[in-house]
Amino acid sequence: MARHPVPILLRHPGLAGQPSCAEPAPTLQTGHSRAAMNEPTSDVDSRDRMLLRRMAAGDHAALETLYRTYHGGLCRFLSRLTRRADLIEEIVNDCFWIAWRKADSFHGDSRVSTWIMGIAYRCGLKALRQRGDEPVDDYALREGRGPSHDPDEDRELRDWLGKGLEHLSADQRVVVELVYGVGNSLDEVAAIMQSPVGTVKARLFHARVKLRNTLPTLAGDSPAQQENKS
Amino acid sequence: MTIQTNSGKACARAWEIMPWALQATAPPEQCEWLMHHLAQCEACSAEFAQQSRLRCALSLPTDIPIDANRGLKRLLERIDAPEPDTTPVRHWSSGSRLTRALAAAVLLQAIGIGALGVRLWSDQAPHYRTLSQPAVLEPAGALRVVPAAGMKLADWNKLLHHLGLRVVDGPNEAGAYAVVPVGSAASSAAVLQRLRADRDIRLAESIDDTP
Repeated sequence: MARHPVPILLRHPGLAGQPSCAEPAPTLQTGHSRAAMNEPTSDVDSRDRMLLRRMAAGDHAALETLYRTYHGGLCRFLSRLTRRADLIEEIVNDCFWIAWRKADSFHGDSRVSTWIMGIAYRCGLKALRQRGDEPVDDYALREGRGPSHDPDEDRELRDWLGKGLEHLSADQRVVVELVYGVGNSLDEVAAIMQSPVGTVKARLFHARVKLRNTLPTLAGDSPAQQENKS
Repeated sequence: MTIQTNSGKACARAWEIMPWALQATAPPEQCEWLMHHLAQCEACSAEFAQQSRLRCALSLPTDIPIDANRGLKRLLERIDAPEPDTTPVRHWSSGSRLTRALAAAVLLQAIGIGALGVRLWSDQAPHYRTLSQPAVLEPAGALRVVPAAGMKLADWNKLLHHLGLRVVDGPNEAGAYAVVPVGSAASSAAVLQRLRADRDIRLAESIDDTP
């Protein structure tokens, strides 16, 4: 069997300089890797817990800090459920409204980010249910196929992602986002979605199989190349 | 396309490890094994590259424009606003519980008063008979006896005792008594005969035979 040097990963389109096995996962807060933030998970969680304690004491500044820290990650997460900006903003605010009122009841059973993400997920489902909406199904029609206002090279990546996520159910998109986008473990995803770990694992597996079958085509690989990869 | 048929056990293991290796949460020995496998397996190498790209794409900020400052301003306004919406709800909720408790107490009191009234009514039933009520039926075998006006009470009692009779009613306006045999008294006919034989008895007849 021919040996394929590891650097082949870096020659894949869009992979230059991208995360590899040695690079930590991105975080919920900003989408940047923890290494880039130079801040271990435990330190981040300790800071968040301190902010929650201050919020429980009525400190608005702590709330503002937590809000700004998580706003970007939450918006991206919720965009896997709905593409409506007004609704995402409302869900984020509902999430922090609850976090503000329940800050003193956080017992530290999970990371603060997991706790907040779980609140946001439930708020998102509730908001969609109250409006009679379903999580977006025509994902690719909206993701990356809108007006081309994204001039940088990320646009191609967004387009590729949007077309791939089009083939997933909303639950599968959420699991993929939490595992690959946020960097949660299966246990954390189960806690966020309030589902058994086995269910989460199955959703992730099926999502990965679908993406494996669709993404190479979307990347422009020929059927022969796909066959070789298989 | 399935993993097992195309890649074997090593590829399946690589498939399981990839997400966590990308997260840098997989154990170092697994990462090392994976990198070794990727160097030998083109399919898994391509799959890992694709998943790396997927992770990069998912890490991009959302393309939906959402103003954090505006959202934060609205949130703070919401927090600072008084809570007129919740207070009445709480008040209504506690009021509702109080109303239910009072209603239950009133209901129990009503039931108790009703039960007590029925009991008192039954206990205080009158021991008299009105004219509109049907006459009390005499017991079977009763006799109507009219003693003479000059008959002494001692003689009357002695006669009744001797014949085994007991007065159950009377005397009425005509001076008649209703008497019934007690215990193993003789037959009505014999009693009637002996009553009629007494000189102080004006009338003796069976009430059952009276039309």
